[in-house]
Amino acid sequence: MSLDFTLPLVALQLGGPEIWVTRTLNGLQAGFILFLIASGLTIVLGILDVLNLAHGELYALGAYVAFTVFGGLIGLIAPSGGDPMALLFLFVLLALGAAAVSAAVVVPVGAALEAVFFRVGGIYERDEVYQLVLTFGLLLIMNDLIKAIWGPSSVRVAGVYSGINAIPVASLVGLNYPTFNIVVIVVGAVVAGALFYFFNRTKTGRIIRATAINREMATAIGVDTDRVFTLVFALGAFFAGFAGAMVLPRTSASLEMGVEPLVLSFVVIVIGGLGSLRGALVGALLVGLVENWAIALNPAVETAAPYAIMAIVLLVKPEGLYGTWGERT
Amino acid sequence: MSIRERLPGIVEGEDGRRLRLTGRLVLTSRQAAGGLLLALFLLALPDITRLSDSLQLSVFHQGVLFGIAAVGLNLLLRHTKLVSFGHAAFFGGGAYTTAVLATNFGVNEFLLLLVPAIAVATVLAAVIGALSLRHTGLYFSLLTLAFGMLLFSVVEGNDQFFGGTDGLPIRPDPAGRPLLFGAELGPEVYGILLYYLTLVVLIVALLGMWRLVNSPFGQALDAIGQNRTRARFIGVPVERYVWVAFVISGVYGGAAGAIYAILQLQIDPNGTLFFLRSGDILFMAILGGFQTLVGPVVGGIVLVFVQDVGQDFTRFFNFVTGFVLLLLVFGFPRGIVGTLGRGTGLLDKDGTDEQDSGDLRGAD
Repeated sequence: MSLDFTLPLVALQLGGPEIWVTRTLNGLQAGFILFLIASGLTIVLGILDVLNLAHGELYALGAYVAFTVFGGLIGLIAPSGGDPMALLFLFVLLALGAAAVSAAVVVPVGAALEAVFFRVGGIYERDEVYQLVLTFGLLLIMNDLIKAIWGPSSVRVAGVYSGINAIPVASLVGLNYPTFNIVVIVVGAVVAGALFYFFNRTKTGRIIRATAINREMATAIGVDTDRVFTLVFALGAFFAGFAGAMVLPRTSASLEMGVEPLVLSFVVIVIGGLGSLRGALVGALLVGLVENWAIALNPAVETAAPYAIMAIVLLVKPEGLYGTWGERT
Repeated sequence: MSIRERLPGIVEGEDGRRLRLTGRLVLTSRQAAGGLLLALFLLALPDITRLSDSLQLSVFHQGVLFGIAAVGLNLLLRHTKLVSFGHAAFFGGGAYTTAVLATNFGVNEFLLLLVPAIAVATVLAAVIGALSLRHTGLYFSLLTLAFGMLLFSVVEGNDQFFGGTDGLPIRPDPAGRPLLFGAELGPEVYGILLYYLTLVVLIVALLGMWRLVNSPFGQALDAIGQNRTRARFIGVPVERYVWVAFVISGVYGGAAGAIYAILQLQIDPNGTLFFLRSGDILFMAILGGFQTLVGPVVGGIVLVFVQDVGQDFTRFFNFVTGFVLLLLVFGFPRGIVGTLGRGTGLLDKDGTDEQDSGDLRGAD
């Protein structure tokens, strides 16, 4: 009788190196999308001290608005043929333009929510349980408003996605990978870089960080904290809406789409440290990568993996990888 | 205290007459009237729901069960000022223990299902509490939420043992539904008897909680909620007490979840373990009035009822619930019971207390 040392469950699905490259790229893509969502949640949390449960609905709203915008735009450029690189450029521009428009639509919604319900409603001065009740109420209301506008079934636009993927950029390095996903990774990296630049180098970014470190002192040196709060909330809404628009071509927009990213954003925040932007980036990429690597083991592990990482981080480094917001981004 | 001062009866308080039930359980007239109304309503509920087809006993029954879980959560919320966003873990833990025992092991008897469920919920609460209670404020909320979701994904991802997304039935052979103290009952009698069993559990839960919060232990929890550092200075073992409170609140959730499973006869992860259920339990406590003892029960009944009626009434029932929550925040932050009982002695704590809101970036 011979001994068999292989582990069938693992060995069967490990596959070749190419699958792992694909999984890693998928992980990066999911990670950057998650970062866009979690960064908004974490800066709102770090500066306003508000855990915005309705943040996922802003993301969903971005996706739905993008659906409407794409729907109007695709007809304009779809028939045009010609040079594939020019077409790719056009499609990417279209995707980014639609994402920017969606984000711009979500921004006033976010700013209005902050101004009406948080500031005028006096939520900042009240017990934190009321923040949770309020933002959860807003989650439910926004969810039904989306349902009222776009209907209960999920919507999708595939035109942009297939248009961009028709130009197989990844095949240049011998890979079979959708071009649009690469676009998402690149855009995600650029936006992340821009966010860090904004908070480290620009005056407004520094004012926001100063407000996060010491609200009273910021007021004393002449910072209008009301404006900073609205700005921060609008910024968070912008990136949530942007993320929603960026995922729309690949998947579909549905009423439930806001819940999972919201919960995963909580995990990212706990992993990275409450209110830390750098922590959000590292945490989001970690969650995205581990989720996609874990698919190789078992689909059930995929959903549990983020929470398992979180539990480990908590046991080893309870304050999160990068501590709290403020002195460092 | 002489025997005279402990007998039930009407006594004169500083601000009017009060009804004394036992030595320390003294109610104002409003509380006595409200309590009596609630008790009569709950007792007569099986008959009330017969009046109209749109009223269903099982809906109110679910409300009472979620209410029991909310009473448990309220021990943390009201006294230690900790906002748990993961109590579905204990509710669902209790429900799933029941389902696994009934389906995979053929356990068939109410008590044999209830007791292990409570035990499992206790263990879950002990572990999750030990890990989450390292933090306070929003961080604590996030941690409880994440552990709840960990449990959710484990259960949802396991098809063989937990039935995956479809969940599990609680229909052990041969009766098709669990026996209540050995008796095999038809669906209607089963529902009513189980409802009255739930009321017994509710009374035990409320009396137990009342004793607890008025004990030195409860007072210590109040001290911890007001200021941890000072509580530590006067010798309160803060970590241990808060952990015990967390475990007790988990026990309430486990018991409620187990009876929920025995009532529903079919459970799934979304209905019991999902983080929105944690939110529901939390919002029930606040809706009913988290500065009161029975508020969470009222909140549970009302919220489940609103959601159920809203579903029949409009496609946009989430909007209705959301609107109720907004009304709660801006209109009556003390909750239903807190608002109705306003101005009475036991309810003088303001729900919008400013000084004690938890420090976000971890006080210690």
